[in-house]
Amino acid sequence: MPALTLALLGAEGAAAPTFPVLSALILLPALGAALCAVLPKNRPDTVRQVAFLAAAATGVLSLWVMYHFDRSDAGFQFLEQKIWVRDFGIGWHLGVDGISLFLVVLTGLLFPLTIVAVTPEHEPKPYYAWLLLLQAGCMGVFVGLDLFAFFVFFEVVLVPMYFLIAGWGHGDSSKVALKFFLYTMLGSALMLVGILSLVTLHARASGGPVTFDLVTLAENQVLATTTARWIFLSFAAAFAIKVPLFPVHTWLPDAHTEAPTAGSVILAGVMLKLGTYGFIRFGLYLFPEATTYFAPLFLTLGVIGIIYGAIAATMQRDLKRLVAYSSVAHLGFIILGTFALNRQGLSGGILQMVNHGLSTGALFLLVGMIYERRHTRLISELNGLQKAAPILAGIFTVVMLSSIGLPGLNGFVGEYLTLLGAFASARWWGVVATAGVILAALYLLWAYQRVFHGAAQGAANEELAEINWREGLALAPLLAGIVFLGVYPKPMLNRIEPAVERLVAHLDANLGDDFVEVQGPAVERRGAEDLVHLAEEAEASAEAGGGHGDGAAGTEHEDGEG
Amino acid sequence: MVELVWLIPALPLAGFVVLVVAGRRLGEPAAGWLATLAVSGSFVAALITFAGLASRPAVERFYIQTLFEWIPVGNFSVDVGFLVDPLSMTMTLFVTGIAALIHLYSIGYMHGDADFSRFFVYLNLFVFSMLMLVLGDNLLLTFLGWEGVGACSYLLISFWFTNPANASAGKKAFVTNRVGDFGFMLAMFLLWTTIGSIRYADVLTTASSMAAVTATAVTLLLLVGAAGKSAQLPLFVWLPDAMAGPTPVSALIHAATMVTAGVYLLVRMNPVIAASYDWAPYVIAWVGALTALFAATAAVAQNDIKKVLAYSTISQLGYLFLAVGVGGYVPAIFHMVTHAFFKALLFLGSGSVIHGMHHEQDMRRYGGLYKLLPVTAATFIVGWLAIAGVPPFAGFWSKDEILAVAWNLPGAQGKVLWAIGLVTAILTAFYMSRQVFMTFFGRYRFGEPDAEEIAAGWDAKLAAAEAAASEADGSVEAARAEVETALASRSETEAALVAARAASDEAAAAAAAVPATELEAAQAALDAAGDDRKAKKEAQNRLKELEKPVKDADKAAKAATKAAEAVDKVTVSIGEAEARVEELVGAAASARSLVEQVRAEARAKKPTSSLVPLFSVADSSDVEDFLPAEVEHRRHHTPHESPALMTVPLLVLSIGAIGAGALNLPFASSTKFLEHWLEPSLFGHEVHLGLSGPHKVLLAVVAVLGGLIGILAAAQTYLRGAIRREGIEAPILAKAWGIDGAYAAVAGGPGTQGFEAVAAFDRRVVDGSVMGIGRLVAMVSALVRRAQTGLVRSYALGVTFGVVLLLVLFLTKATY
Amino acid sequence: MMATLLAQAADVGAAVEIPSVDWWGLAPVLLLAVPAMILLHVSSLVPRFFRGFYATVTIGVALVTASWSLGLWGRVTDAERGPFSTVGGAYGVDGFSVFLTLVICASVVLAALLADGYLRREGLEGAEPYALMLLSASGGVIMASANDLIVLFLGLEILSLAVYVLAAMHVRRITSQEAGMKYFVLGAFSSAFFLYGVAMIYGATGSTSMLDIADFLATTVLARNGLLLAGIALLLVGLGFKVAAVPFHAWTPDVYQGSPSPMVAYMASGVKAAGFAGLLRVLLLAFPTQGDIWRDIVAILACATIVGGTVAAVVQTDVKRMMAYSSISHAGFILVGVQAATARGTSAALFYLAAYTFMVGGTFGVITLVGRRGDDHHDLSDYRGLARSRPVLAVVFALFLMAQAGVPPTSGFFAKFGVMSAAVEGGAYWLAIVAMVASVIGAFVYLRLIVTMFGAAEGDDAHAGAAGGEAEADDAEAVSATTAAASPERAGSAAIAALALAAAVTVVVGLVPSLVSDPSGEAVPVLVHPTPGRQLASP
Repeated sequence: MPALTLALLGAEGAAAPTFPVLSALILLPALGAALCAVLPKNRPDTVRQVAFLAAAATGVLSLWVMYHFDRSDAGFQFLEQKIWVRDFGIGWHLGVDGISLFLVVLTGLLFPLTIVAVTPEHEPKPYYAWLLLLQAGCMGVFVGLDLFAFFVFFEVVLVPMYFLIAGWGHGDSSKVALKFFLYTMLGSALMLVGILSLVTLHARASGGPVTFDLVTLAENQVLATTTARWIFLSFAAAFAIKVPLFPVHTWLPDAHTEAPTAGSVILAGVMLKLGTYGFIRFGLYLFPEATTYFAPLFLTLGVIGIIYGAIAATMQRDLKRLVAYSSVAHLGFIILGTFALNRQGLSGGILQMVNHGLSTGALFLLVGMIYERRHTRLISELNGLQKAAPILAGIFTVVMLSSIGLPGLNGFVGEYLTLLGAFASARWWGVVATAGVILAALYLLWAYQRVFHGAAQGAANEELAEINWREGLALAPLLAGIVFLGVYPKPMLNRIEPAVERLVAHLDANLGDDFVEVQGPAVERRGAEDLVHLAEEAEASAEAGGGHGDGAAGTEHEDGEG
Repeated sequence: MVELVWLIPALPLAGFVVLVVAGRRLGEPAAGWLATLAVSGSFVAALITFAGLASRPAVERFYIQTLFEWIPVGNFSVDVGFLVDPLSMTMTLFVTGIAALIHLYSIGYMHGDADFSRFFVYLNLFVFSMLMLVLGDNLLLTFLGWEGVGACSYLLISFWFTNPANASAGKKAFVTNRVGDFGFMLAMFLLWTTIGSIRYADVLTTASSMAAVTATAVTLLLLVGAAGKSAQLPLFVWLPDAMAGPTPVSALIHAATMVTAGVYLLVRMNPVIAASYDWAPYVIAWVGALTALFAATAAVAQNDIKKVLAYSTISQLGYLFLAVGVGGYVPAIFHMVTHAFFKALLFLGSGSVIHGMHHEQDMRRYGGLYKLLPVTAATFIVGWLAIAGVPPFAGFWSKDEILAVAWNLPGAQGKVLWAIGLVTAILTAFYMSRQVFMTFFGRYRFGEPDAEEIAAGWDAKLAAAEAAASEADGSVEAARAEVETALASRSETEAALVAARAASDEAAAAAAAVPATELEAAQAALDAAGDDRKAKKEAQNRLKELEKPVKDADKAAKAATKAAEAVDKVTVSIGEAEARVEELVGAAASARSLVEQVRAEARAKKPTSSLVPLFSVADSSDVEDFLPAEVEHRRHHTPHESPALMTVPLLVLSIGAIGAGALNLPFASSTKFLEHWLEPSLFGHEVHLGLSGPHKVLLAVVAVLGGLIGILAAAQTYLRGAIRREGIEAPILAKAWGIDGAYAAVAGGPGTQGFEAVAAFDRRVVDGSVMGIGRLVAMVSALVRRAQTGLVRSYALGVTFGVVLLLVLFLTKATY
Repeated sequence: MMATLLAQAADVGAAVEIPSVDWWGLAPVLLLAVPAMILLHVSSLVPRFFRGFYATVTIGVALVTASWSLGLWGRVTDAERGPFSTVGGAYGVDGFSVFLTLVICASVVLAALLADGYLRREGLEGAEPYALMLLSASGGVIMASANDLIVLFLGLEILSLAVYVLAAMHVRRITSQEAGMKYFVLGAFSSAFFLYGVAMIYGATGSTSMLDIADFLATTVLARNGLLLAGIALLLVGLGFKVAAVPFHAWTPDVYQGSPSPMVAYMASGVKAAGFAGLLRVLLLAFPTQGDIWRDIVAILACATIVGGTVAAVVQTDVKRMMAYSSISHAGFILVGVQAATARGTSAALFYLAAYTFMVGGTFGVITLVGRRGDDHHDLSDYRGLARSRPVLAVVFALFLMAQAGVPPTSGFFAKFGVMSAAVEGGAYWLAIVAMVASVIGAFVYLRLIVTMFGAAEGDDAHAGAAGGEAEADDAEAVSATTAAASPERAGSAAIAALALAAAVTVVVGLVPSLVSDPSGEAVPVLVHPTPGRQLASP
């Protein structure tokens, strides 16, 4: 994590890289996976080390990317563009901007940490191979700027996750994995039709060659309004399922609960972001008009997710399931921010993606550790753990508070910005969503009380093992991130904002008068001297016997509602 | 010097970090001293800053220090920075000062606790958060502190987490506060969307140009937040429960500092309040007034020493809101400071008592402690006089001013508010006196069983008696059974006797039947036989044969007599058995009568109400042997005064409780130090009393009289027993009008059910429909499968069908 | 009207002459057919060769043909020489026919590799299967190059008759006999319709030569002539039967289930390819002018085929049946490419055929191995725990199944992608959506199989459990079968080669689709008149 800090603080527009770093981000773990697959079966440790090295190398590379990321540049950086399938106009087009940068880093870091934290119960070889393949896929989604490439990776990630859940999960995992796979595949099936329609119609309308290039498709909007809306919906279907939004969320609790710890961590930490990221990168960017047109719908779904997820979480008996439902609520905030369609909301949403990755990732790791020790996730089975494992409890507390959104920890910043943005552009949605903050405290604190507080009953609870150095090592960076991003999110926001501004400008450019970014009025910062001035006036008017002093300077500010 | 402001929060933060890392290794008491040091350090820093600020001309006492930009997005930007002005300075000073004292006290209080260092970790974190709250130069940073102190409060209330009650209390506090925070957040959003900033410098200076409706909305939303943090109606419910935390926590967080944050926020935003509709402030005033009255009534009936103080705190905070609502910002802050002193003092005092009394918190078991805990008692009395508003103690001055500004409000409203305030004052004096009297005066009751325990004793005794009675009945039954068996055996023996007699008579008859002549003849024959062996033998045989019946008769007679004896014996034993039955029945009867008697006694003597007989020694002689065990423990434990570590802070605070009034003496404008000091921060929104000198004096006199009435009433009730307490300590009051209960009922009943319903909906309907689709496909598939008969002819039919289909499809398009 | 017909007839009558024959172009057919004959005779003369001789020869033949075709490819794609036709224009050699020749050769190679081990295992060694396969392949090549409906019929029959026998080849399996019989009866049935169709079209256009038909329709306005349309309909029946399009699919499950597994591999790839070759050639070359009529109808067929095949596959518990239905739904996807009636559509369909050849070859390769002696271990339960007993085999199978499900990065994904884009391009959005949704249901079928292999203990195919009593029943017996099932015979080197080849192609083409999509893009059928110079633009 110091590395991360350093990377964030440093990096004034470093020299552009010469080698295709983004391809490397995808290929490195892929090769690692291949290597794991061919290594001898009887050497699990070697496999493990190789897997860790591959994942860690990817992580370091992602940090390198962040370090050399030019914060002043709003556009895509580290661009790579090669032709993949000529006569289909498919290209190998990669690039990162402020929106994807931190998701790339998150993907880079979360995997090695997961590998450190948990070891599979059996068959390490395929396990690590799938895990690395998953990392490659996620990377591909976040850096892909070609709709075809994006879609391919979007689909590819299903396979490793499917096998991870089915092969190393608990309970009725194969059925759950099937549900997960088909559910998400249904969404992307519709999206494929959407992509193809978009591409063909675009080519037809613009008279140019068929191309899947995101930037080209987004920058010249040639589709008829209604057509664009329909295609947007087909995209939205895929993303909504991935996020997941109410009412297509029910695959998530099952998948999370039955998946192995690593699966849950990655699923929550990275894969859910595929949906929210998709909404921003491929929804908003490609279909500005449709996005604004459907914004109320998705704002509503987001708010429902926040409240509904929290309520459902409160009533869960399974700790992992509870965390899963909390994800539904948290991603509701992200959607809310995204469709607030102003800088605060969007930046907050993007920030919140990373925050959720850290917090919920850590939560799932912790739950996994408890499960390893107690072999149960039932809240009713666990009690008074704090006595036996104070450090574990302490870490859990911090992570929990971050997930609740305590100021000073990462969760708050994103949550606050999304709510702020929503309040500005969609007031009443914002108000209702803010009420969700109360519920968040309710379900997590209650769960914590039941699991960690009270007197421990039964030897298993009384003699719970404290976390070991390996687990600590895996958690430390996450905790560091949780605190750092809570105290000093500025470097991150500075890198996100240009891209977000560009996005908003894109909306403006394509919608003209139909779109106004709604945010608080710009004011010139006042200082102590203004306060002094005010005090003086007050004194003056008091001496003049004017009673209440209303002399404060300032122009009339009209309400921010648009 | 002002530039040092960053040190003030930095030191506790440093302390926190060090303790997190090394706290366990430092252990007791080092960890405690370190924490105390850190906070004392920040107090010193605060003093220096204060000096720096004070050295400036009045109106220029504003200083903003920006450390770094925190959250910058688009038009939204907040810094991590500090706003130093008279208001925040005042808060900082008393927060750090009192915090330092309480840290010191805690070293003593937490002595021997397993989690000693963890306690100070939280305590330092709390102080840090509190200082961020006070010093933050924007609402969001204040909010950071706001939630931070909330979290610390949560952690500290549930500090002794093994007890589920504490855990839920902590959770309750956090969640209830969140409800308030909801308002706070919306207020911030609204401010940003309307004036584009939530930095105090911007908000305060542009407030006057805000639309009244917006300003009102902001004010009310902030009020919601403040009501949560400062435990006002209807969000007060968490504070009484919060007493579950260690007493120093109650003193620091739940009396002196955190709970006043709401008031601070409202005072801080005074220009916004000024910009809102005229009625908006009155809402604040009414919330405060009603809370004050309500809580005071509840405090009257509490028996837990800390619960009394908790409700008292709520009530006093109500005063502060009242003051703010009627524009008396200075009195609000003034009373906040004095209250901080004497309420902290009272809490620490109660802590010292609890510490001395083996963690006994029930005042009914106190009494007469002033001998045993002299220092605690003395300081506690100071606090009592202060809160009761007895001149010249601190409370008198500040409370008096609040009443004055209330009265000052034009129209009937002011008078009503004033009246409520006065009633509250009387009640305050009353319940505080009650507490003092029950705790320190009257009879030393610690060793005595209290009403409930005696009642328990009586129940035990009764149970014992009943047990004895039933046992007696049991033995009676046994005896009766014996008699039965005896009777049975007699009838047998008698039958035997009859038989024997008959046999003997028969034998006798036989004997008599033998003719004497033959006997003689036989005898003669024997004699005659001489030495003729043969003849002799015959004669002898003959003789024997003749004598046999006689012998038999004798035998039978003997047997008969034996049988007779046996019968007599049995008869005797029966007699005995019956006698025993008689006596046992007697015993049983007496036992039952004893039960009756005990029951009667109990009816007479068993205490019905839980009220302690404060004046007559509760008579437990009859049930001495049946009292619960803890009574015994208490008898063998003598309360002891607390160590210096704890008493020193008490003394220091009592000085404050006496002298704090000097901060703002109403005699002359020149003596109103606090008012002048705060003036710049209030931007002229402070109301100015339009009351003549005598008028004020009159009000003061009334207030003092009110206090005295309260005290006297309490004395009559709790020292002399002249007034019966049943009427006062009504159960409904003890339950604080059942509001909390109502909440719990709703949350536990409909609330939970509703949540469950949603969860079920998610399982059945939402997920169910998805799985349903899957099943549907499978069903269709099964149907299709049926069509696959495996018969060539049916396949051919299929093909033909296809042919027809295609022909139709094509030919419909044909034209001729 | 009548007059024009008479005129046409006269014209045709006049045109009778000895056609010139371009043996180079005709070579692929001969290269396949002649060795087949020789093989038969030689095998009857010489009792025994070294094991695997026949297979080797067959593969050799196929490879030679393929390389020859590559030569032809160079010629037909060459700018100045370009495609050509021979035998009086009855036999056209263009990118399309050459491409399909290559596909058919590939399927022959795969099938032969699989057959080698299989026949030895089943004790059916002999030249006949190989010879028949080569013959039917030659028939397929003829279909792919036919410029005349009669020639097309000829190819169709050569292809079919050989395949009927192949289906019935496993003498000891009654199901095999039955399969052959069914296939033959129904095949004959549909061929009859095809012939009717040809007759009607002759009646309507006065010719069976696609060149003349196309010319005639291009110049004469009888777009909506009932006779013509009925003819097209009946041609569609005949070819639809070969490609197993709903509602002409009913034979497929039974035949696939009964026939020897390697032969099924050939049927599903080679025969299907040939069928589509004929279909595309007829529709695109002879009746482009009727496009707007038959497009919609083919679209309906495609929709019915996809949905029918997929849905029916859901509850199958016999893997071969399952794959039969899945191959039906694949045919539907290819039809989607056909109904587009565009260069893109044709190219996509060809790509699909090429990709599918390897996927299905591999799939039935695994099935062959798991089938074991007697070729009757095809129940879902026989696959339980395969991942543990034969991990590699399981992984490879999983790959083929994922490819069939259309999951990237496999050739299967791009194949679907191609036909979908063709459909969307043609504006058939509804068809695209239906197809994609169906593909999700299809994914369930394949995943269910994977779940079984990767031995999720119990409760795996609970969906199937919900489906019907039978499913539970075989679940029950499956548990007992598990132990027995877990050990299929070791794969012979030939089979390994086949699987490796199929897997490699599936992955590589998935990663670099242009390897196939570029040629398939150029492989558009064109009509070239025997006398060079007059060439109709391809539709």
